[in-house]
Amino acid sequence: MTSIETAAVGVDPAIASFLYREARLADEARYSEWEELWDDDGLYWVPMSPDADPARDLSYIYDNRRRIKSRVAQLNTGARHSQTPPSKMRRLLTNIEVLERDAETVTVGSNFVLYEYRYQMTTWAGRVIHRIRVGDPARGPRLVGKTVHLVNAGGPVPTLAFLL
Amino acid sequence: MTELDTRARDLVRPDRVHGSVYTDPEVFELELERIYRQGWVFVAHESEVPEPGDYVTRRIGREPVIVSRGKDGEVHVLANRCAHRGNRLCNAERGNSTTFRCPYHGWTFKNDGALVAVPMRGGYSDEFLAKRSELGLSPAPRQDSYRGFVFASLAPDGISLREHLGRATGAIDRLLALSPDGRLDLRAGWMKHHHFSNWKMVIENNVDGYHALFTHQSVYEAVREAKVSHVPSKVEVYVRDLGNGHSEIDYLPEYSRLDEEFVWFGRAPRAKLPRYVEAMEQAHGKEDTHKAFVVGPPHTMIFPNLFLAEMNIMFVEPLAPGETIAYTTPALIPGMDEMNSRMLRRCEGAMGPAGFLIADDGEIGARNQMGLAATRPEWIMLARGATTDQHDETGTVNHDKSSETPQRGLWHHWASVLDGE
Repeated sequence: MTSIETAAVGVDPAIASFLYREARLADEARYSEWEELWDDDGLYWVPMSPDADPARDLSYIYDNRRRIKSRVAQLNTGARHSQTPPSKMRRLLTNIEVLERDAETVTVGSNFVLYEYRYQMTTWAGRVIHRIRVGDPARGPRLVGKTVHLVNAGGPVPTLAFLL
Repeated sequence: MTELDTRARDLVRPDRVHGSVYTDPEVFELELERIYRQGWVFVAHESEVPEPGDYVTRRIGREPVIVSRGKDGEVHVLANRCAHRGNRLCNAERGNSTTFRCPYHGWTFKNDGALVAVPMRGGYSDEFLAKRSELGLSPAPRQDSYRGFVFASLAPDGISLREHLGRATGAIDRLLALSPDGRLDLRAGWMKHHHFSNWKMVIENNVDGYHALFTHQSVYEAVREAKVSHVPSKVEVYVRDLGNGHSEIDYLPEYSRLDEEFVWFGRAPRAKLPRYVEAMEQAHGKEDTHKAFVVGPPHTMIFPNLFLAEMNIMFVEPLAPGETIAYTTPALIPGMDEMNSRMLRRCEGAMGPAGFLIADDGEIGARNQMGLAATRPEWIMLARGATTDQHDETGTVNHDKSSETPQRGLWHHWASVLDGE
């Protein structure tokens, strides 16, 4: 366990590079490569409010590993009209802090700004919490959780069929 | 009031509608007046305000309203506008409060609308203060509900809610037949999806049995087979114009033919839903429970803004000729957690801005709106199945699910409402 105060300066370069790669693969619609970052028990969650309880509350996205696979498979058909062609995107990941760390898992919080161009420019922003499994150096870091708290989670939100 | 140069009837023919019905700002203004002010509009579900003091805020057309439950247990639909200087009084989406106090000058209203406090009353004449009771929040001129679904109209006169709903009450009954005690819980939160298309495109598409094979091809190709085939010739799925602008895709004949339970719910086996099955059988008996599990929920559009989307509820809010917000939430069944957790995940999978289905409907709708910037050809074709429609006591039915029967029914009604017929 590492406190937030000491963590801000101590993000492991391997973790930072994993986050940047995840962001780049999502931006560039490299769906299958993005999917490969996930471990078998991954959860990709975009709640509708910061204090949402998925057992009770509806989310925009609440993908277990199986549904992540389905989402990627749908995008890969080329007939996912809402991402055909894929939106042009670039996102900035900043204010990165290690929130928790043990021998197995690192939890990293960051802020992001994402520019999406599709007919017009749409700006998305929010906070993202990555949980990254680091226990097996042979396999390298693996994504086990990605939670995205959109600034505009209260809505209305336009279609978000891309990988957030 | 806005008046079109032409009658709406001239924009609607039996097998086609004029493209301008989706784009013309004058048409849009007339719709807000005739459909969203004068007609019945779904505003909220009673389960959203279960306790005295509970409220939600909504819009009827452009008009902000508070839907609250008073101390008397009654649901009130009130203009969300301070009776003093017009400030929007309640600015939360939901909450619980016995009163609403305007932050501008402190006027305070009970949650049934009555004005209860005017600060610094010395500055008003006795004559004015005597008339305070007339300065409450303006209630919707008409308000009524059907089995938990609350509707309102901003016009004092017109047909009753029951007359408006007509045969569509059967769809609400069909949904509630899946609840052991006939109640729903619509408090999981509403996804608000901003569509860049006209509100009628959204509602027409909800009951379009023709588009799935194309718009949703990616789902069937990559993820799973459709619950039943979307190839019209392979299934006994009907489309129906119920009258009064209401319409549906009816899976009942196909489900009954299969006589399989929960085809509409991912073919979940009974063993996964033991408490729900038990509660249903206790409430309705074995035979009716089996029937309800086979028949499943409705897929019915209730004009103008409420869509019973099987186990989800959607309502639409028109913003501008080319902009609409669709609100979606699962129709949870009180206390039935094993059903509800599945319903939440199914709703997220299919519906809303990231849903496997609706994201693509949103995209196609936006492109439809862009396409209509071309003013030629003038007409949009809705001829499919026009010569095979049949009329019976349930409405106008077509046994080919890809027929544009629901759309023809919607437009016929739309024109009669806009022309004040």
